[in-house]
Amino acid sequence: MAVSANLLAVPVAAPLLTAALILLFARWGGRTLIRHQIALTALALCINLAAAALLFRAAAGQGQRFVLQLGAWSAPFGITVYGDGLSATLLLMTALVALAVYPFAVATIDYHRARMGFHPLYLFLLMGVNGAFLAGDLFNLYVFFEVLLMASFVLLTVGAQPAQTNSGIRYVVLNLLASTVFLVAAGIAYGTLGTLNFAQIAERLPLASPAVRTVFAGLLLVGFGSKAAIFPLFFWLPASYHTPPPAVTALFGGLLTKVGVYTLFRSFTLFFPELLQDWQPVLLTIASATMLVGALGALAQPGIRRVLSFHIISHVGFMLMGLAVALSGNNLAFGFGLGAAIIYLCHHMIIKTALIMAGGAVELHMGSDRLASIGGLVSRQPFLAFLFFTAAISLAGVPPFSGFVSKLSLLQITLDTRHWVVSGVSVFASLLTMMNMMRLWRESFWGDYSRPSRVPSRILQSSVRQRLMLTPVAVLVLLSLALGIWGEPAFRLSMQVAQQALDRQAYIEAVSPSAQTSTLPAGLFTVPAETVSTILSKEN
Amino acid sequence: MPELYLRLLNRILTPVLLLLSLYLLFRGHNLPGGGFIAGLMAAAAFQLQILSRGHDSLRRTVGPYLNSGIGLGLAVAVCSGIVGLLDGTFFKGVWFSLDLPLLGYLKIGTPVIFDLGVFLVVVSVATSYLLGLSRVADANVEPGRRADS
Repeated sequence: MAVSANLLAVPVAAPLLTAALILLFARWGGRTLIRHQIALTALALCINLAAAALLFRAAAGQGQRFVLQLGAWSAPFGITVYGDGLSATLLLMTALVALAVYPFAVATIDYHRARMGFHPLYLFLLMGVNGAFLAGDLFNLYVFFEVLLMASFVLLTVGAQPAQTNSGIRYVVLNLLASTVFLVAAGIAYGTLGTLNFAQIAERLPLASPAVRTVFAGLLLVGFGSKAAIFPLFFWLPASYHTPPPAVTALFGGLLTKVGVYTLFRSFTLFFPELLQDWQPVLLTIASATMLVGALGALAQPGIRRVLSFHIISHVGFMLMGLAVALSGNNLAFGFGLGAAIIYLCHHMIIKTALIMAGGAVELHMGSDRLASIGGLVSRQPFLAFLFFTAAISLAGVPPFSGFVSKLSLLQITLDTRHWVVSGVSVFASLLTMMNMMRLWRESFWGDYSRPSRVPSRILQSSVRQRLMLTPVAVLVLLSLALGIWGEPAFRLSMQVAQQALDRQAYIEAVSPSAQTSTLPAGLFTVPAETVSTILSKEN
Repeated sequence: MPELYLRLLNRILTPVLLLLSLYLLFRGHNLPGGGFIAGLMAAAAFQLQILSRGHDSLRRTVGPYLNSGIGLGLAVAVCSGIVGLLDGTFFKGVWFSLDLPLLGYLKIGTPVIFDLGVFLVVVSVATSYLLGLSRVADANVEPGRRADS
């Protein structure tokens, strides 16, 4: 079946339209209304998954690139929506995570929060994340960043517990700072290159002076890096992730930082691949520091969810390491590092979400997630214990799960490029991960059964609820197992995706922004490339 | 009791503001205007209402429908994009010509429908902000000195 580029609109339009319908009828009805909202949301999530799967098959499997010029206005003038293998992979993973967390959310979100608009917000967040993966220009990327920031801010604070409000403010202020830095970068791009379109930036950036390139790249690294929670810029994450309901943490843990990681991948491979070589020491240092700080910081955390969310930072370090060596490689294929980073990203999204959900189930069962006061759950909840254990060892990188394949491939490329220190750090961080996971397991499942809360457990009250919570965890763990067992075909696919993403010329040709500009009178709408280079050479 | 002139002004200005906002909405395709500005203009009419008569009446009459207004506006805006699929591309402008008995020849396109959606979203969001802020402002005034009681 031929896939039309209009399919790119579905991951944004379907959640938006459904959320709009939910809001439209939110006034009428009581508890039955929530049921309708849940059904509509689930439908939208399924449509989103189907669209993402179709796109993935065509873009990642067959190497197609989809370009949707909204309203048929051609590239630098209209809004470009772009989907290739990298976008499609992230869309598919996002759709999976969103659909998997949803039953858990339905089981655990209370009526009050549902009345406050939890379900439409879930869809708005999904729309923002999907839009960021599909944006073909800096401005729309910024818009979708703001959409997902606002939706996540409200999701974080809905329910208005004091701790939630406190963390929500820190989250939104630090993220707005990051957005401002990104906006300054966009302003610099527009001021010096005369365009915001990704393809046109990629086309004109080689003509710009090295100073412009350095500043632009540096600002993007800071802006996207703090969205991704890389080393010195991660403070918003541990400050906020443990306060909302567990379902929200699971969704955030699966999706939010990955948008930052994706934009780092996209901007560094498309705009300035040469900086991946020039800045390699810097990027590798940041990656090592991120891996270490994430894993060491998690060791010091007192609660399950705090450990798991702090630990996200460590994984972002692994992905950044893959990006930093994306173009290097002595004996391995071109783009091996990026391919490894992409498969690591998929593994991380699947298993981190599963773990946070399992941890959330423990927390809801015990009434607390403080490791010091809980224990012995394995005797009461053997299935949950089993799921948590398998997810934990997958995260730590034990075969035959997906963690092994992705960590092995990352290690291969760092050893191949002779970055001994970084590969050592990554192995050490993996050991720390193992330690973290074993600590969680020992404190919450082993030992004597101790349950600090006197309130009866909500999970035990209803078997339907329990099934809704644990089935998605089981599905995600099975997915991770499948990704590990079929590691070779999966890795081949991710190599194709990486090589497609590294082919800048094909991206530019697919969008073809200059085909339209050349016919216009010079200087009317955009600055032609020759003018840019003459201006910039005068500046030098 | 708010001042007399404010209430008098309200009577004259509210219809003017609302008509002006509609005018801005429909001229927005080729000239300055459009859904966003028109929505703010209409919200200004509501703010005038709050200032002159207090927020209680507005909260009762308009308040319950604001969320629905946001939803309707978003739905209309997305649907105007879906109409573009008829011509092959999402959000492509499509124009329909209608021959109506009283209004005469009318040409209506998806951009104006999109603007209508934006208008609804903006007016609903801005009015719910204003109502929320007026409640906060009320809570900060001592009970004996309430402006609208």
